[in-house]
Amino acid sequence: MADLLQFVVAGLAQGGAYALIAIGFVSIFAVSGVINLAQGEFAALAGLCAISAAGAGLPLLPALLVAVAVVAAVAIAIERLAIRPVRRMTTLTSIILTLGVSTALKAVMLLIWGPQGHTLRAFPGSDLTVAGVSIRAQELWILAACALVGGAVWWFYERTLHGKALRACSEQPVAARLIGISLTKASLVSFGIAGVTGAVAGVVTSPIYSSSWEIGLTLGLKGFVAATLGGLLSVRGAILGGILLGVLENLVAGYVATGLRDAVAFVVLIAILLARPGGLVKHTEARV
Amino acid sequence: MRRRAVTATVAGFLLLTGCAEKSQETESGGSGTGDITIGAVLDITGAGATLGGPEKQALELLAEQTNAAGGVNGRKIKLIIEDNQSTEDGAAKAMTKLVSQDKADIIIGASRSGPSLAMGAIAESSKIPMISLAANVKITEGKRWVFKTAQNDAVVLQNIIDYSAAQGWKKLGLIRDASGYGEGVGEQLNELGKPKGVSVVRTEKFAPDATDFTAQMVNIRDAKADVNLIWGIPPAAGLAQKSYRQLGIKTPVFQSHGVGNQAFLDTAGDSADGVLLPLGRLLVADQLPDGDPQKQVLTKFASDFTAKYKTPPSTFAGHAYDAFKLAIDAFQKVGTDKAKVRDHLENVKGFVGVSGVFNMSPQDHSGLGKDALAIVKVEDGKWKLVDANRG
Repeated sequence: MADLLQFVVAGLAQGGAYALIAIGFVSIFAVSGVINLAQGEFAALAGLCAISAAGAGLPLLPALLVAVAVVAAVAIAIERLAIRPVRRMTTLTSIILTLGVSTALKAVMLLIWGPQGHTLRAFPGSDLTVAGVSIRAQELWILAACALVGGAVWWFYERTLHGKALRACSEQPVAARLIGISLTKASLVSFGIAGVTGAVAGVVTSPIYSSSWEIGLTLGLKGFVAATLGGLLSVRGAILGGILLGVLENLVAGYVATGLRDAVAFVVLIAILLARPGGLVKHTEARV
Repeated sequence: MRRRAVTATVAGFLLLTGCAEKSQETESGGSGTGDITIGAVLDITGAGATLGGPEKQALELLAEQTNAAGGVNGRKIKLIIEDNQSTEDGAAKAMTKLVSQDKADIIIGASRSGPSLAMGAIAESSKIPMISLAANVKITEGKRWVFKTAQNDAVVLQNIIDYSAAQGWKKLGLIRDASGYGEGVGEQLNELGKPKGVSVVRTEKFAPDATDFTAQMVNIRDAKADVNLIWGIPPAAGLAQKSYRQLGIKTPVFQSHGVGNQAFLDTAGDSADGVLLPLGRLLVADQLPDGDPQKQVLTKFASDFTAKYKTPPSTFAGHAYDAFKLAIDAFQKVGTDKAKVRDHLENVKGFVGVSGVFNMSPQDHSGLGKDALAIVKVEDGKWKLVDANRG
């Protein structure tokens, strides 16, 4: 029993990280139909920025804020420079485009921080053991960050006028423009949000999973699978998908074979695309 | 439209001539006079980055020193380093380039076992001497042209078994790297451990780029072994070590010689305290008695390296040092004829290097025995010599 709980706890934390990445995918796709493959790189970049900022003598919190701000700025710059100039953006074009962006980001990170992985110092709080299950303080931070950021993004898209206006851009682009919603501004905001969620994922996981220029690929892939689990349009679905994927990975690794951990995401992806292409969560409000 | 076609064609031609010129430039290698070309294929990026980085630094330092001292018999050393991105196909590609395009006289690398195995086949078919910096004994087994400077994993495992048996630890839990470095470790442990009654009771694997080890460690905890062995390289090995302590496992733990660098201590932090490992003597050079045969080589390399890079060398840098020095020794004595270099390397005896004292033979292209490693323990984030292991 303790083993099962231990697997679940570790899976929850890892799933929290996937969920944050998945939210980034959703927040862009729901607005402009763009799949941003550089989503994982946001996390890598944020982790490395935070490590440098902390290394330069900043206390932890300002270092985190600097990292998140830098990455949000980078995300916005990417939208301006690589996404907006394209006249007829299709999902396929966006995939090819952002793949290029992701490669460029990786090269820049490799040049600046070198090939080796680094870890950020742990957030405050001490690890605890409950009923034989050890819980790392950092894992609680990851889950808290996921709940907070996920909740905020969900509230913005589903409950505020601005958020609904943003989603309208993808659902009814012509109608949205007719009633005065700026598509370009909407896309910019969605990239900013994706930058922030990706960055938060990067900084909260850095102390236990470490950061390097190349972690973005795996994180991005897992996050994408999580987003697909949630149907690519729902923030709640993305969070749920991320958590589910994380827990499932750990259960498979613990009870079946550790070597299969990374295969889980892709088996799940194939299964979901065959059985429920719309995702696990039913979202009635998404399509009119 | 037409202008574009023309520019494209011109650009194409420029590219082509560029290539042609490059291949002409590098004709000078081969044998006789002119520069001596040493090609190195290292894991500079990817999972082996903590190994390849210091190795690259060591090679550059040595090439600089050798050329400043007038080169080898008046010939300058030309060092070409390629990154294999820690992949097997990257290693094979880089090796082919060094052999056919750069006409290298010898190949050093790769940093890890998988890529080294991929390169070994090319060394055999193109008949070029190669010195690997990796551990797996299969790299040199049955090979004519391939040598290596890292201690064989069998040598490392023997040390672990002997130490465990002396402590009365019979049941061993293994958490190993799922790639080339960890391949066959469990089988070898069982084989070498049989005479002393030591056996593996549970094996768990992890990918070289894994970040979470909870599943493996919980299973290892349940196996209740007398001693556990984490077999991997940083950062994975460091994260695994963290997870081990995190889950409250009190069983004594060994790590492999794959963690002989500061990167391990940095990632593992406090959790590294108490870790035992068989390790080359470079990191504990200052604790060796003055009469130790390697002391002089070790302290000189450590101080030269630290002076240039402001950070102490890792044992991996030491493997690169040995490979470079073995190559230079051969070039000095027999020139750059590939067959002669190979024959010379095979007959190296009593060569004092950083990883140990090398005694090569046709049967053993690794040349290091059990005494090439000391037993070291991590205490307060520092390497501490437990047993110098000089017999």
